[in-house]
Amino acid sequence: MRQERIKELFSDWRVLVLIILIVLSVVAIYPHFDSNGNLTTNLQYGLDFQQGSWIQLKFDAEVVGFTTTEPVDTFVANLSKDLDTDVILVDATHVEIRKSYNQSELAPYFASEGGTLVSYQPGISSATADLVKQILEQKINAMGTKDAKVNTITGLGGVTQYVRVEMAGVNMNQAQQIIGKQGKFEIRVQTTANQTEHVLYGDSITSVESPSQSPAGSGNWGVGFTLSQDGAAVFQNASITSGATIDPADHKLAMLLDNQTVYSAPLSSELASSLQTQTTTQLFASTGSGTAGMNQATNLEIQLRAGALPVDVEIAGSGSTSASLGQHYMEMCLIAGILALIMVAFVIFYRYREPRIVLPMVMINASEILILLGFISVIQFQMDLPTVAGLIAVLGTGIDQLVVITDEILHEGIVPSPNVYLKRLSRALTIIMIAAATVLIAMLPLALMDLSTLTGFAIITMMGVVVGVVVTRPAYGRIIMEILSE
Amino acid sequence: MGLFEYNIEKYSPKQLVLIPTVLLVISLVVLAYVTLTVGMPVVPGIDFSGGTAVTVITPDTPAQLQTIFAGYPLVSISQGLNNGEFITFGTMSDTQYQSLTALIASKYPDAQINQIGESFGKTLQDQAFIALIIAFIGMAIVVFVSFRTFVPSCAVVLSAFADMAMTAALMNIVGIQLSLGTTAALLMLIGYSVDSDILLTTRVLKRQGKLNDKLKGAFRTGIIMTSTTIAAVIVLLIVSWAGQIVVIEQISAVLLMGLFFDILNTWLTNVGILKWYVLKGGGK
Repeated sequence: MRQERIKELFSDWRVLVLIILIVLSVVAIYPHFDSNGNLTTNLQYGLDFQQGSWIQLKFDAEVVGFTTTEPVDTFVANLSKDLDTDVILVDATHVEIRKSYNQSELAPYFASEGGTLVSYQPGISSATADLVKQILEQKINAMGTKDAKVNTITGLGGVTQYVRVEMAGVNMNQAQQIIGKQGKFEIRVQTTANQTEHVLYGDSITSVESPSQSPAGSGNWGVGFTLSQDGAAVFQNASITSGATIDPADHKLAMLLDNQTVYSAPLSSELASSLQTQTTTQLFASTGSGTAGMNQATNLEIQLRAGALPVDVEIAGSGSTSASLGQHYMEMCLIAGILALIMVAFVIFYRYREPRIVLPMVMINASEILILLGFISVIQFQMDLPTVAGLIAVLGTGIDQLVVITDEILHEGIVPSPNVYLKRLSRALTIIMIAAATVLIAMLPLALMDLSTLTGFAIITMMGVVVGVVVTRPAYGRIIMEILSE
Repeated sequence: MGLFEYNIEKYSPKQLVLIPTVLLVISLVVLAYVTLTVGMPVVPGIDFSGGTAVTVITPDTPAQLQTIFAGYPLVSISQGLNNGEFITFGTMSDTQYQSLTALIASKYPDAQINQIGESFGKTLQDQAFIALIIAFIGMAIVVFVSFRTFVPSCAVVLSAFADMAMTAALMNIVGIQLSLGTTAALLMLIGYSVDSDILLTTRVLKRQGKLNDKLKGAFRTGIIMTSTTIAAVIVLLIVSWAGQIVVIEQISAVLLMGLFFDILNTWLTNVGILKWYVLKGGGK
């Protein structure tokens, strides 16, 4: 009889889902001994719990909405000249200005070129943000840093104002050097079959354009760049003396980043003939056609910049944690979590005086935390201090709602018949649903906004609510019914 | 044996809401005063005003630290157990910051340093403010949609508001600054405070029985909900204070204050309004 009921309980879908999730979570967390015999897990720790540094950079640029009666291309070009900086068209009505101006400074410039400034947001477009991310990642990878994260922080308007770089195992000084370091870019020309000669360094390149097609719409990709007047003269001179203007095919031009060749091609015939008589500051390095050509052009753009970001940045915030303090925080959080669970168990026991109720409650509560940790492992989320606070908050709300279920079912101290039971359970779940909905909505702005370090906290709290409502609380309702009706 | 008997039969709704009303008025005065003096309802910490926070574990006393960091805009030093010290500095120039990090790196290589620039702090502050407003409005919408009756919904929203206002006022009085962590705690309070209000309102409006019995029953469940949370938060507060984990210490301190105000606002403010509504003939 009893065995049969236990069998029945474990074949209930609510209980089954809970058990499956617990098993999956343990697999995801994967506690095991590493080669040194220390217990480790798949959980990833952020900078609060391990040695490392973070730097947050702010972009000196803005995205401005505009209307104009002039042709857009001329308008943008004129604006760029007036403001003496790169102005890039983001879409039909927005430009990105790569220099720090405030709204009232900009308005007159827009007016004088026959346009109106409609909106103003400090930051860069998402396309530029992607480029910045790639450049930083490439730079950090080149340094061989173990574990680094580059996150652009984009607001609700789609404008990116900050980028945050987190590097594990690196102290503040090293971090600043890695971010600040620029690669050495060089152009060389081939003199004989296997000999090249220095032409100029990256400092002669004054600006680099985004990948484009030349001629426009031909599908032939490449990157345009501009040389300084001096650089252009050196370039012309080297092309003539090396023989590249007369025999381009045997005197290719090579671009090197940190002494690695990243691009090599002959001068085009038009350029070769024009260089014989005049200097040119505008150059175009073509990379081929199709998607391959476009990708290569994007890479070349980053290399041409030699690790320099397309926009000026300033440090908006930074920090670092030492290995010993991280270890200390981790121990403290573990102690806090376990003690909190024990304290909660005591309070519950004080109220119900019934181990058959208290035990399942605490177990369900602990399983909620376990499932969340499993989830954190799967999404490879890096735990930090606010996340731990979120987990303990989940512990607190979770037990609250188990109390609601228990009291609703035990109403007037009588254990109900199955029919009445289900009615009461669904009433308890209604209360829980409303409460859960308010927590979800209260945490939503945090999860969506730039408040970078709190995003983790918000996501964990929301996940906790969802796991609770969908999985653990219905399962608890089923289990406690079995226990109470004995 | 219960904690204590909750019997409000002999009190009129007016008497019930008297104490919370007085407290709310005092809180709003405090918040208004702080807003007039510093420009924000709660004094902003370095997350929002910019500055540097350093956590070190060292046997050096605060007085010794004060002389070591004499050349820098030192704001405060707080001490936990185990020689943990939490030191905050005001905003400083890049060169001064670099010399400070160099000094810390040589004297206390195991320190944790976090620095927030002034403009970044301002951005965070604006966003935190918007997050709080949106969260509160969102909560109000959920409550109104769930109950679809005006007075009881208002009572829940008002209780949550009073909860936050009193907590924020007390933060000023005991000297807890508004940081990213405490903003998160205030947001969490929105969720916690409506928990027991929703239980109360559902029990009173959707169940048969005498009002006083329903209130007693709701209290029995509601108070245990709040006490379990308080128990968890007290543990968190003690451990984080002892271990000098300032972020968590602040979060748990704010939660603790908020939970106590929640007891007050749920079982006096919300009950008072609900009782008035039911006696007047609503909710049948």
